[in-house]
Amino acid sequence: MRSLLPFLCLFCAWPALAAEPLDMTPVKKWLAKQEDLHSVQADFTQTRALRALRSPIATPGHMWFGMPDSLRWELGEPAKTIVIRKGDTYYLIQPARKRAERYKADSIAKKGGAMGFAMINFPIAKDFADFNRQFETLSVTVTDDHCHLEILPRDAQAKKMLQAIKFDFDTTTGHLLSFEMATRDGSSMRSDFTNVRMNQKIDRHVFDYDFTGYEVVDGKN
Amino acid sequence: MEKTKPRWIAIIIALLVFTGAGLSRISFNVDILKLLPTHLPQVKGLSLFLKHFSQPKELIVTVEAPTSELAESTADALADAFSKHPDLVQRAVARAPWEKRPADLSELLAFLVLNQPPEKIRALVNSLSPEQADATLKSSVEKLGESISPQEVALLSYDPYNVAGALGDLGSFAGTAQQSEFSSADGTFRVLYVVSAHNFPNYKAAIAWVNQIKQIAHATVTDSAIHLGFTGEPAFVADISGSMEWDMTSSGFVTLLVIALIFYLCYRRARPLMELQAMLVLIFTLSLAAAGLFLSQLTVIGVGCAAIMIGLSVDYGYFVYQRSLHHRGTVGELQRQCVQNIAWTSGTTAAVFFALNFSSLPGLSQLGNLVGIGVVFGAIVMLTIYARLTMRFHRSQEGRPPSIIERLFVTPGFWRKGAILTAVIVFFLLGVLAVKGLPQPDFSARTLRPRKSEAYVALDRLYARLTDDRDMLSLVVAGKDEAEVLKRLRLAENSLSAAEARGEVKSFRTALPLWPAVGNQRANLPLLAPLAKEIPRLRERAVAAGFKDEAFVLDEAIFQQWAAWANVPTPLWPTNDTSRWIFRRVASHEGDQLLALGMVTPMPGHEDALTAAVQSEGTWLVSWNQLGRELRHVIPCEFGHVIMALSAIVILLLIIAFRSIRAVALFVLTTALVLACLAGAMSLLGMGWNFFNLAALLLLLGTGTDYSILLLLAMKRNGGDAPAAQRELGLVICLCAFSASAGFGTISWANHIGLASLGQTCALGLVLDALISLFLLPRVWAWIHPHARAVEEMPR
Repeated sequence: MRSLLPFLCLFCAWPALAAEPLDMTPVKKWLAKQEDLHSVQADFTQTRALRALRSPIATPGHMWFGMPDSLRWELGEPAKTIVIRKGDTYYLIQPARKRAERYKADSIAKKGGAMGFAMINFPIAKDFADFNRQFETLSVTVTDDHCHLEILPRDAQAKKMLQAIKFDFDTTTGHLLSFEMATRDGSSMRSDFTNVRMNQKIDRHVFDYDFTGYEVVDGKN
Repeated sequence: MEKTKPRWIAIIIALLVFTGAGLSRISFNVDILKLLPTHLPQVKGLSLFLKHFSQPKELIVTVEAPTSELAESTADALADAFSKHPDLVQRAVARAPWEKRPADLSELLAFLVLNQPPEKIRALVNSLSPEQADATLKSSVEKLGESISPQEVALLSYDPYNVAGALGDLGSFAGTAQQSEFSSADGTFRVLYVVSAHNFPNYKAAIAWVNQIKQIAHATVTDSAIHLGFTGEPAFVADISGSMEWDMTSSGFVTLLVIALIFYLCYRRARPLMELQAMLVLIFTLSLAAAGLFLSQLTVIGVGCAAIMIGLSVDYGYFVYQRSLHHRGTVGELQRQCVQNIAWTSGTTAAVFFALNFSSLPGLSQLGNLVGIGVVFGAIVMLTIYARLTMRFHRSQEGRPPSIIERLFVTPGFWRKGAILTAVIVFFLLGVLAVKGLPQPDFSARTLRPRKSEAYVALDRLYARLTDDRDMLSLVVAGKDEAEVLKRLRLAENSLSAAEARGEVKSFRTALPLWPAVGNQRANLPLLAPLAKEIPRLRERAVAAGFKDEAFVLDEAIFQQWAAWANVPTPLWPTNDTSRWIFRRVASHEGDQLLALGMVTPMPGHEDALTAAVQSEGTWLVSWNQLGRELRHVIPCEFGHVIMALSAIVILLLIIAFRSIRAVALFVLTTALVLACLAGAMSLLGMGWNFFNLAALLLLLGTGTDYSILLLLAMKRNGGDAPAAQRELGLVICLCAFSASAGFGTISWANHIGLASLGQTCALGLVLDALISLFLLPRVWAWIHPHARAVEEMPR
């Protein structure tokens, strides 16, 4: 019920952001490299530093992405949470509970529900114009062949929750090195990617899931 | 003289007291449901909904700005500005109360968990036991690391023992969490809720308060890029009552002006005109005072009656004046001559209108009472006072020549040409009716609202930008106590789940999760209250599991709340400000009747079936659209019955008056022709039938028929000489018709759409009635009475 909305807003705080002229060349090059992207596979470690916890929690995971809209994201070993995208449908799967929630991609985007999936939206934009339409760039820092990018969604709902979305990528290869969402209460979720393999053939069955014995419900997004 | 003077003084004093007392009690009721039959389920459900959930002191201020930051800062600035006026504003809320005081939510969460089935509570208590607490905490930490839902992560961070887990699936909360009653999704549209510091004793107080709030708002927000809107109950009362007052006074004033103009054009006499106007003001004031004393609140239909009363009462004045022109006897003789005609016409009119009390429509009853009272006062005042005044005037003005219009009405050529023209109009309108058919019914909510209203404009923006619930149905569940409402809520939930499975419902939400389950509360409290004693142990284990102290604050407050409730009698309700805010639109538990509210989104086309399936004792599924559908079925039948009954009364009275079946048959024929031509004219002008202009039929039955009655009585009095009757009453009936049409015509421009349609329909109908009665009825009479035709052909 709406009555629980407040619990979900406990992280909220108000921003004081300042914009400066930035050299966006590395970002443009990175996004341009992604235009040649057909598939990505990677392992990652997700580290959550929550304000309520004394120390961060690290969880391993794997991801597979195939153009244009196939995704598998597994968190935990063995996987405790799995997200699969096939076409315009997302499935949020909890194997331990034998339960899956189904979401339409456009309804998630419309209602701001993409918050939960934002960490796995890949690629983050079709091109630089699309990137500018969706995000406000806070900073771009280049050190050798390593670029650190901080952005904030223009969506007002997302802006309320987030302080920044941070990317680290290799300017030479275009590989994503890490991805971090920092919320306004000081918490963060960071994924460090390893063993990144781009444009390698992925078995299409990776994006299938056997729901036998599962309760599959429409997610209330 | 010595005796009559004190008597007149006493009468005047009594009238002044009566008028003062009556006028001081006048108040308006803007609730449209007060006009409708209370036995209708939709009316009953919506009335309950408005009674318990409308916020009579709460003004909704909307802020639209180019950016979300500007909208938010403006809303906050407005809230601050309003809060600086504690004499005006009890509170101004620009953001959810829990944003400022999240700890207040512990009471609500404690309440929600307390209502869960005892087996869930036993499992919860077990998960907090010394043996299980560490495992519970470990599970929470794992979920915090693995959950992909930010909502779940946010909640678990401050609920390490997963107390909220007892409420079930968190996913169902995520959807509603996206909704906000304070901001649109993009943040550029914000809403403030401003509660008045005082109750409004009357509509004028509401208008004054809303204006003061607007002044403060406009002084605070000077940026022209920011658009402010004002809606909510006080804004509607201010808007609608203000426009009702204006409609009432302006239409009454304009009617008086038009009457003055018509009278002067016809008679070219200033003094009787002034006296007639004074009489009309007196009748209007007395009728309004009587309405204030004997009727409760004036509805929008009652407001329209002001002009109608004037338009009708002036008929008797014209009649008295016309007869007085040729009267050479005493005042008493004049009064005796007039009393028969006025008694019959005012008697039938008043009888018809008072008989509207038999209708199940309270709006019509009020209309009937108001016009009935006005007609009786009109007849008495014109016969007793105006007759005396006109005679005094004529004695001083003897020998004055008739005006051009007076001479015109005694010219045979005028009547011949008039009859031809009327016949052409009648055939044309009947042709239109044959081709275009009857006017279409329109019982939508559109006719129930004002044409221009800032409050409606702001509400429409609110629907467009925040939540548009106009296609939704409100589930209203009532009961005498918590247990009865809970039982009915469960039944409604089952019916809605079944309807969802049948594909009739898109989604629904009831107050069931928020409604106290008294049995569960009694069973759970002894299990939950002792947890407060375990707080030190539970905090220590949480810290040991990796949580910070602050992560335990919410759970601690919940445990303390259960302990605080241990000695409070059930049923328990949360009582702090935050809980009250959340419950104010969901549950009402103060007073004799308890109510719970829910929202249902039906699949298009299944509204009627769904309403029927869910409706049971104490349970209604209502909406304004659904009310419109119900009215479309019920109102035409209701009006049909009332019209039949009134027609029977009128015909019975006419049989007594005429003692002639032919005359009564002619009257019926004339009335039928008028109604057919009116339908043709309405089709031609694209007008539809609605609740308000159906009432126009009743008005026509009560007023328009006077013309044919007067003509038929005059023909009877003149031995069947139709032209003589025309010469005698032609001018009077024309004056009456134009005056009454002016009365109705002035409300054609009323702000209220339905009221305006009533005015247009009545004005049209009266003109048609006068034309047909004056020009065609005597011709038909002469045709079926050969002797009368012979009289007409005789040289004069």
